[in-house]
Amino acid sequence: MVAPTTEDPVLRSARREAVVAALVWAIALTYTVGGSILYGYRDGAEPVRYVYGVPDWAVWFIVLPWGASLVVSWWFAYCWMTDEPLGEEHDQEVPSDGR
Amino acid sequence: MADRFAAPDYGVLAALVVFVVASIALAVYAQRATQKGSFLSSYFLGNRGLGAWALALTATVQSGGTFMGYPALVYSHGWIVGLWIASYMVVPITGFGLLAKRLAQLSRRSGAITVPDLFRERFDSPAAGVVSSLLIIVFMTFMMVAQFKAGASIMKVVWPNAAVAVDAADGTAPATDLKAEATSKSTTTGGLSHDQFLFYLGLVLFTITVVGYTMVGGFLAAVWTDLFQSVLMWLGVMLLLGLSMYQLGGIGNLTPGAVAQTSPQFAYGPGYSTDGRQFLTPGLAFSVFFVWVFGGLGQPASLVRLMACKDTQTIRRSVLLLAVYNSMIYLPLIFICMAARAAMPTVPVADEVIPRMALWTTRDLPGGSLLAGLILVAPFGAVMATVSSYLIVIASGLVHDVYQRFINPKATERQLQSWTYAVMVLVGIVAIVANLKPVAYLQAIVVFCGSSCASSFAVPALMTAFWRRATAPGVIAAMLAGAGMSLTLLVLGSLCMDDQMLGPKTNFRSYYLLGLEPIVWGLLASAITGVVVCLCTRPPSAKRIAWLFDAA
Repeated sequence: MVAPTTEDPVLRSARREAVVAALVWAIALTYTVGGSILYGYRDGAEPVRYVYGVPDWAVWFIVLPWGASLVVSWWFAYCWMTDEPLGEEHDQEVPSDGR
Repeated sequence: MADRFAAPDYGVLAALVVFVVASIALAVYAQRATQKGSFLSSYFLGNRGLGAWALALTATVQSGGTFMGYPALVYSHGWIVGLWIASYMVVPITGFGLLAKRLAQLSRRSGAITVPDLFRERFDSPAAGVVSSLLIIVFMTFMMVAQFKAGASIMKVVWPNAAVAVDAADGTAPATDLKAEATSKSTTTGGLSHDQFLFYLGLVLFTITVVGYTMVGGFLAAVWTDLFQSVLMWLGVMLLLGLSMYQLGGIGNLTPGAVAQTSPQFAYGPGYSTDGRQFLTPGLAFSVFFVWVFGGLGQPASLVRLMACKDTQTIRRSVLLLAVYNSMIYLPLIFICMAARAAMPTVPVADEVIPRMALWTTRDLPGGSLLAGLILVAPFGAVMATVSSYLIVIASGLVHDVYQRFINPKATERQLQSWTYAVMVLVGIVAIVANLKPVAYLQAIVVFCGSSCASSFAVPALMTAFWRRATAPGVIAAMLAGAGMSLTLLVLGSLCMDDQMLGPKTNFRSYYLLGLEPIVWGLLASAITGVVVCLCTRPPSAKRIAWLFDAA
């Protein structure tokens, strides 16, 4: 384990943000795919149920979470991510790889 | 309801010419902006100055497919394609939240200009650089040759009174209006049919345009054209949505109208089909959350844009900008395609659905031809921007990662510049020659190469960014395992197995092992192989790890 004092702060915040990004992805996958499989797969024998002209399952498991993702994106970008200097560009002579 | 299809006239061609001229102007402007700093950093990375708009609207998966392939699938299979594309709701967060900040920092600290550069410097391993260079050059060359065909096809169809026909998703010969087909057969130019003549003319004009403006403006020209076409695409979608709703009498009539022309299955999974094909089984629905998220993350052209971003504020803004943009593109396109299915139930080639809707909805409007042109140049711009970004990646790979690293490390700026231009011209010539007999299975080649790139690079990029114990042999093994798995499933699907009747219809298909998309297996193979090999090989030097992972 690396002591928190020596670890690069950009790495630390990038990892913290990556973990939340992965969680958001997993939650979206579970809700959208799970709900759609449960309610959006039918044999087509019965009449389609609409909400404002859109199939009901699509409203709950595609349109609605897509709207929610806008709020989550705003929160992620403006409340969770942090600003840090990315550092100066390391200028080096290109070493030869020819052997 | 439409009983005949409209054909483009001079207004559409005029819109295309305006777009090309605007792209060239952007390239000239980009050239001025790249005159600061060293040639490599400015020409291939835009001096790491990408702002939020440029990063948000160009760094993830958006291409001609957004305006052609995706609408074709909605038109063919119905609302279930909404689930197929649904992971785009989290692409802004994953695309920028997983890697952007760390890659931008690592590339600055190591001085990396290209993706192979990054692997090479991170692991102090020329082998890691060479393997990644070779994989990138091979995959991207195939993708790019296919995109040249798409560009030429669009140029062909915007020609006044040409048939509206672009490549079918399965790569078969495009269908055309009967009237136009009869015309093409009766007219020949220098031994070529009218249709062939327009295709080759389109190919040459497209190549000159895209190679020319990329040569002039480099990375920034590619990015700015991409941004320009993204804005046009948004404008086109909004216009078409409004016109579609107007023509069909409101949003509440679109899906019921489409269902009336097909069956209730058009509203449900696994999707409507007439031949028993299951477009999106539950297994594939699960897989597509990997396809779009990691497909974007693992593209070298996307990774290099993350490396080029200006600062962390840019990354944050990009997340929200892209989230808003995606929601205003992908959901409205579903409604537009519902309207198309209701109004034009028998479009012969589904890839034509957006061009046909553009022409149909504007047919009676004053200046409708120009309006249709505005909508039609968006896919052309998308293809052009995609080709341009691939050209940059291929040229940087050959000139920086091969020529400068192996042949002439002391190359002057002028020599690098000359070689870059030469490579771009050469790539353009190769693309023309390869398309003299146009490549089949265009869409499938693009999807296969995109998935293979993602399988090869997504896991190594994550290891590079966050795992101290990652080693050069481990990362190389992860790249090769991902690429190998993709290739194995392609060979099994195309040559050894019968059609599983899953997913989009194509003859260039991969095998869906356990009903999952190949990218899932590619990522899994890459991750397992990478971790095992890393743990079995000597840890990286403590000094290098401290340099790249600890506070300066």
